[in-house]
Amino acid sequence: MWLPLLGLILGLGLGLLTDIQIPAIYENYLSIAVLAALDTLFGGIRANLQQVYDDKVFVSGFFFNIALAAGLAFLGVHLGVDLYLAAIFAFGVRLFQNIAVIRRILISKWEERHIKKDENTV
Amino acid sequence: MMKKPLQTKKNSKFTRKQLIILIVCIATGIIIGYSYKLTKNHEKINNSYVEQEESYREDLIEQQERNKELAEELKDLQDQLRDYERSFAKDEDEYEHLLEEAENLRLMLGTIPAQGPGIQVTLKDNEYNPNSTNPNEYIVHESHVFSVINELKISGAESISINGQRLKSNSYIRCNGPVITIDGKQYPAPFVIEAVGDSKTLVSSLKIVGGVFDQLLNDNIVVTIEEKDLIKMTSISDET
Repeated sequence: MWLPLLGLILGLGLGLLTDIQIPAIYENYLSIAVLAALDTLFGGIRANLQQVYDDKVFVSGFFFNIALAAGLAFLGVHLGVDLYLAAIFAFGVRLFQNIAVIRRILISKWEERHIKKDENTV
Repeated sequence: MMKKPLQTKKNSKFTRKQLIILIVCIATGIIIGYSYKLTKNHEKINNSYVEQEESYREDLIEQQERNKELAEELKDLQDQLRDYERSFAKDEDEYEHLLEEAENLRLMLGTIPAQGPGIQVTLKDNEYNPNSTNPNEYIVHESHVFSVINELKISGAESISINGQRLKSNSYIRCNGPVITIDGKQYPAPFVIEAVGDSKTLVSSLKIVGGVFDQLLNDNIVVTIEEKDLIKMTSISDET
């Protein structure tokens, strides 16, 4: 449980410490990449909680989503259409759905434990 | 599907799973962190731009105000300058006046040579009159000369000379028998009195009824008055 958190903190530190400047045009891609990464991460957590977690799906989903989002944004920039909005929308919706599912699972688990505790005490 | 191998080969699978999660987490962290940092930089740059713009605008306003102040000052100074010029012009007029006065005074003092139109008055002793016993009745006295000179001075003669001797302000004229002494030099009759000035005024003042001319004629003196276009007199310092 502590390993992912440690990895996140390590990654945050690395990201804050890096001093690479990227052109302003590519900042859109970065925001999409953030969304994609968060989506994948929460998807992974949800899958884990629903006991359908798969390494391959998770990793491929992570990188593929990011690549797809970046590709969409790239295409959008070159076509003059804000296609990256589609990616943001899709990821946003999925993010909320994932979080909602996680919340429900956690609540149901907590309630189960509560009931058990009550049974034990009574 | 996944549960079974996880449980059977727990150690290796667990580490692999952990490793993947770690990598993904690190990647996510990097992306988020970098994005955050980038946005912050952006904001900073934007802020600094805004601040710069603001400060430039303030500078501009300040400069404009200063310009306004300076323009007002310039206007004030120009007004002042105009006043100065005006007063200076007045002063100059006065100065010219003073210069003229000084010139006149110098002419009177005789320190500079005088020239210009003027008159020449010649006083001559009358012919010897055998009927008269007193020679004083027909010779020129210094009082006659005095009266002529005084009349000339009063009527504005710039400079006066007697027989070529320029009169100073402190010249003295003395009767010395048949001759008169002017500043130590003796001159016999006839006396030629020259005066530089407005000849008409001088002549009319001399010839006024009951004036000097009449008195001189009354004293049996031969008087001739000539108007001259140009009379030249040396300054006192030129004389020896």
